[in-house]
Amino acid sequence: MTSQVPGGPRRRQRGELAEYIGTLAAMATATVPCLVWRARLTTVDVAMVLLLGVVVVAARYRRGPALLASLLSIAAFDFLFVPPYYTFDVHDGAYLLTFVVMLAVALTMSHLTGQILEHALEAEERASRASAVASLNTELLDATGRDEVLDALVRHVAATVRGPVSTLAAEELERDPAAWTPPTRELLATVPESVAARMAHGGGQSAGPGTPRCTDSEVLVVPLRTATHRFGLVAVRPEPPDRLPLVAEVATVEALADQAALTLERTLLAEQHQQARAEAEAERLRSSLLSSLSHDFRTPLATIEGAASGLIEEGGALTAEGSRDLAATILEESRRLARLVSNLLNMIRVETGALAVQKSWQPLEEVAGVALLRVEEQLAGHEVSVDLPPHLPLVPVDELLVEQVLINLLENAAKYTPPGTPVSVTAWEVEGAVCVEVADGGRGVPAGAEESVFRKFYRAAGTAGEDGAEAPGGSGLGLTISQGIVTAHGGRMWVEHRPGGGAAFRFTLPLVGPRIPAPPPGRDAVASHG
Amino acid sequence: MGKPCPLILLVEDEPPMRRFLRTTLRAHGYQVVEAGTVREGLAQAAGRNPDLILLDLGLPDGDGLGLVRPIRRSARTPIIVISARGQEHEKVSALDLGADDYLTKPFGVQELLARVRVGLRHASQSDAPEAVFESGGLRVDLERRLVFREHDEVHLTPTEYKLLTTLVRHSGKVLTHRQLLHDVWGANYEGQTHYLRVYMAQLRQKLERDSARPRVLLTEPGVGYRLATRE
Repeated sequence: MTSQVPGGPRRRQRGELAEYIGTLAAMATATVPCLVWRARLTTVDVAMVLLLGVVVVAARYRRGPALLASLLSIAAFDFLFVPPYYTFDVHDGAYLLTFVVMLAVALTMSHLTGQILEHALEAEERASRASAVASLNTELLDATGRDEVLDALVRHVAATVRGPVSTLAAEELERDPAAWTPPTRELLATVPESVAARMAHGGGQSAGPGTPRCTDSEVLVVPLRTATHRFGLVAVRPEPPDRLPLVAEVATVEALADQAALTLERTLLAEQHQQARAEAEAERLRSSLLSSLSHDFRTPLATIEGAASGLIEEGGALTAEGSRDLAATILEESRRLARLVSNLLNMIRVETGALAVQKSWQPLEEVAGVALLRVEEQLAGHEVSVDLPPHLPLVPVDELLVEQVLINLLENAAKYTPPGTPVSVTAWEVEGAVCVEVADGGRGVPAGAEESVFRKFYRAAGTAGEDGAEAPGGSGLGLTISQGIVTAHGGRMWVEHRPGGGAAFRFTLPLVGPRIPAPPPGRDAVASHG
Repeated sequence: MGKPCPLILLVEDEPPMRRFLRTTLRAHGYQVVEAGTVREGLAQAAGRNPDLILLDLGLPDGDGLGLVRPIRRSARTPIIVISARGQEHEKVSALDLGADDYLTKPFGVQELLARVRVGLRHASQSDAPEAVFESGGLRVDLERRLVFREHDEVHLTPTEYKLLTTLVRHSGKVLTHRQLLHDVWGANYEGQTHYLRVYMAQLRQKLERDSARPRVLLTEPGVGYRLATRE
């Protein structure tokens, strides 16, 4: 029953006063005409008129005014209409029964009225709660993330109960209070509030003003939870502080919170589903990589074994040329295996962060020179040009690692472009770094694959070597390793499309590193390049 | 040259590698004695007095450096260390301790034989280098202090010349950054690698046909430099 709610809004208090004034007015209206025509009316008539007054009051107002009306009517009846007039003495015992009936009628009427009012009020509250929840729901349909859901909830709760609203995350509440961040810390600064919050979060029921729990808390806390998940609390500090929220308002906030929690759960489940799918995809990728890797290992091993056994067992039957071919096959395949193994080892170093970068300042030309020498054989058919400006600053690099980057890029150029294709190595200074480019005039990187070429085990389409020697058949690790090495140097690596076709792999080497010590005394200048 | 059939001590613990080295060396007219551990190696070195030692850096009872140090104390026997890629640090330590050269696994027969020949040559040459050094279009006349690239005289600064002659004295052999800095600039400058690199770049500009693809002044990444010899 509404009246059992401790207190009520001011609007209602003002209403009650009006009701009592109305009651007095109604009873006066019923009494005065009777008094005027007292001589012509029987006491039964008077009783009926007064009873009508009581019924009207009871029908319009609630129990308090109805009770007042019945007492007033009894008093007026006794004092003014039951002889002897103007005393409360009653000579005829039958009038006592009239008094009782009047009282009973008043109580019954007021009870019925109260119930009707109650139902109407409840219906109204239900309707307003439903509309609040419906309006929240509409907004939640568009909400995509946790923050949006909580934002919408806060706005709707604020529209229901006046006062600042905030949400408290479950993770925050489960932490030690000393580690609470400002909104939580300020909201739950005092003991009653923090007890209410703990109780609401732990017990899953609202606490604070307007609820039967923790009524000394100034903050109303409502849990955001579903059957399986706890997302934290929504907290309101009703304003002004002495105004307690109605049960109905609390119920609305609870309904809103439930709705928001359901949406949060849905979002969470969708995320989990997404993640599970991504994991399954990664797993699928792993197993396909494993099978392609084992193929990459077994093929050269089988070739080596076959060729070697041929040399030993068929030694006499083979021509000199045949023996040479077999031996050459063994050499090629073992080099291929060695490259694969060293790529895998480097990959592990890059991935586990075991790449120990030992930088020292040096001319890029020297690093490039070593790389070019190492891939000389592979690039023999290509037109290789090197353009390094003479006044390029020294770069702080781990020579072995950056050399590996250049080797990988040059090997790729050799693998993925036909003989005769121009390949260029250039470098220039940019702000705070040196940018190095290895470009070729081949087909270039497929559009849209600019990022994925750097992905582990990525191989250019149509080049996975099923047919052995002809296909490039790289490990799909070279670019990943190179990018890892450049990143470990603090630089960045990317690929661009050359205007005339072809790929231009670029990377930067920031000019930051150990300090260059003072030069030793020399009789000639270092800077002058001959 | 020394003995007609130079004796090589092979210190290597991996049987397949040992077999490959033994077979190859014998086929090219060298005598081979073998050891599988540092201890055995030391005993063989003392007992057989080899002309050259091929030493693997990864041995079961030590890192091979334990062999370089005692041998260098008593003899000048050339030592060539064998190591895997990525062991530049160990290589440099071995070279700075007195090893003469190194081979990085995997290596081919040509490379192995070239290193062995250079090692034996330097051991027999004693300290007096030839008066004129020639390799890949470069000619250094040590007596007249003249340097030529393809018949054109090249003018070098005193430091460049000193660096070049240091390399010439050890032609064919690797020289670590530290060794070069020590020999050219002095003991106090052994850490200033970038300085050496800058001078090396200058030398290449002056002496190589294409300084980005050097043929004579070779870089040994992570270790030092080598002056290529005519082979």
